[in-house]
Amino acid sequence: MVIMNKIHITCIFALLFAIILNILPLPSIIDSCRPPILLLFLIYCTLAYPDDINLTYAFISGLILDILLIMPLGYNALCFTVTVYLIMIYYPQIRLQSNWNKMFSIFLILIPFFLSSTLMNSILKIDYNIVDVIISIILSVIIWPGLFNMLRFIRQKYT
Amino acid sequence: MYSDRQLKLGTGVRNNFSHIIQPIYIIAESPLRLYKNTSLYIDTKKSIIKENNSLKKKVLVQSGIIQQIPPLKAENKRLKKLLSSSSSIDTSKILIAELIKVNLSPFSNKVIINKGSSNNLFLGQSVVDSFGVLGVISEINKNFSVATLITDPGHAILAVNARTNKRIVLSGTGDNRKLKAEYISLNEDIKEGDILITSGLDNIFPGGYNIGEISVIKKKLNQDFLSVEVSPSSALSSNREVMLLW
Repeated sequence: MVIMNKIHITCIFALLFAIILNILPLPSIIDSCRPPILLLFLIYCTLAYPDDINLTYAFISGLILDILLIMPLGYNALCFTVTVYLIMIYYPQIRLQSNWNKMFSIFLILIPFFLSSTLMNSILKIDYNIVDVIISIILSVIIWPGLFNMLRFIRQKYT
Repeated sequence: MYSDRQLKLGTGVRNNFSHIIQPIYIIAESPLRLYKNTSLYIDTKKSIIKENNSLKKKVLVQSGIIQQIPPLKAENKRLKKLLSSSSSIDTSKILIAELIKVNLSPFSNKVIINKGSSNNLFLGQSVVDSFGVLGVISEINKNFSVATLITDPGHAILAVNARTNKRIVLSGTGDNRKLKAEYISLNEDIKEGDILITSGLDNIFPGGYNIGEISVIKKKLNQDFLSVEVSPSSALSSNREVMLLW
């Protein structure tokens, strides 16, 4: 019970930190193609604790991000839930993969996320640039190994 | 999302939880603030003296220009009286606000301002900077409010060509660097470089404020209207302080 509480507390703090990273001001050149840091944190948490971190976490984190980013409520919530659902289906395979394979898996899993966000952008008539979306996916895949090792270090230290 | 659009749930949530949301914005903004404050201390004496000199020169030039304003104002008033026109660009109150520089969605064309309902802001209030019109207040919370920029795709503004005095509808493109002018007939007297100002007829923006300059005019075959692009004069992506008009 104590360990479970520790897991939840660590994940909540990590997600809060990710939310702040997500809204951190960046230079305008990389602003439009920034990787979805909060989603990458959520993916790691789901891979590490698939029994504890579930779709509720994804949905609530998405809602908080929608409120902070002044976007239609449910936009990020839906995109995050879809991605975390995919992770929950395929986590046994992804956990066993090597680092390079994991990067490829993240790439494949992020495609539905960006497809769903692109679909909603066109429904809500939000202007977007497809090149920025592609760069964002590539950046997410590039930073994944570093982020994975950092989060694993935190997990081993605090849970 | 549909219910949010109809019932404005997001606005309600932001309004009720503004005490929690504002500290998150402040924490997210703090690295940028820290960087700016430290760079201010690190600035050399030489560069500060240089900046001070250039600012002094600027003030001198501008005070020279300001001296011409009272006679021009009197002349304008006299001419308007002759024409029986009642439009005026006087505003009774100006409040300076600071932008909260957090990263909103790059496609949303919105900015957060550090003044809210406690400063008597109202919905639809116009926001300008030192170069021109920036946008309107679209959401008010207790300690912060959200302004929609004039470049937002859902935003339109009625402008007047300063040279010809013809009215033009400008709408946002989603791109911070351009607005598009709509429904301009092919034989309209319009040139690249024409300055557009607010008309004051939309009851949102007071008249006479600078909006931008016509940058591109394209005549396309099989189209009844000209395709005109306008580059906004306000520093939409780089400014830090804005003015709210009453």
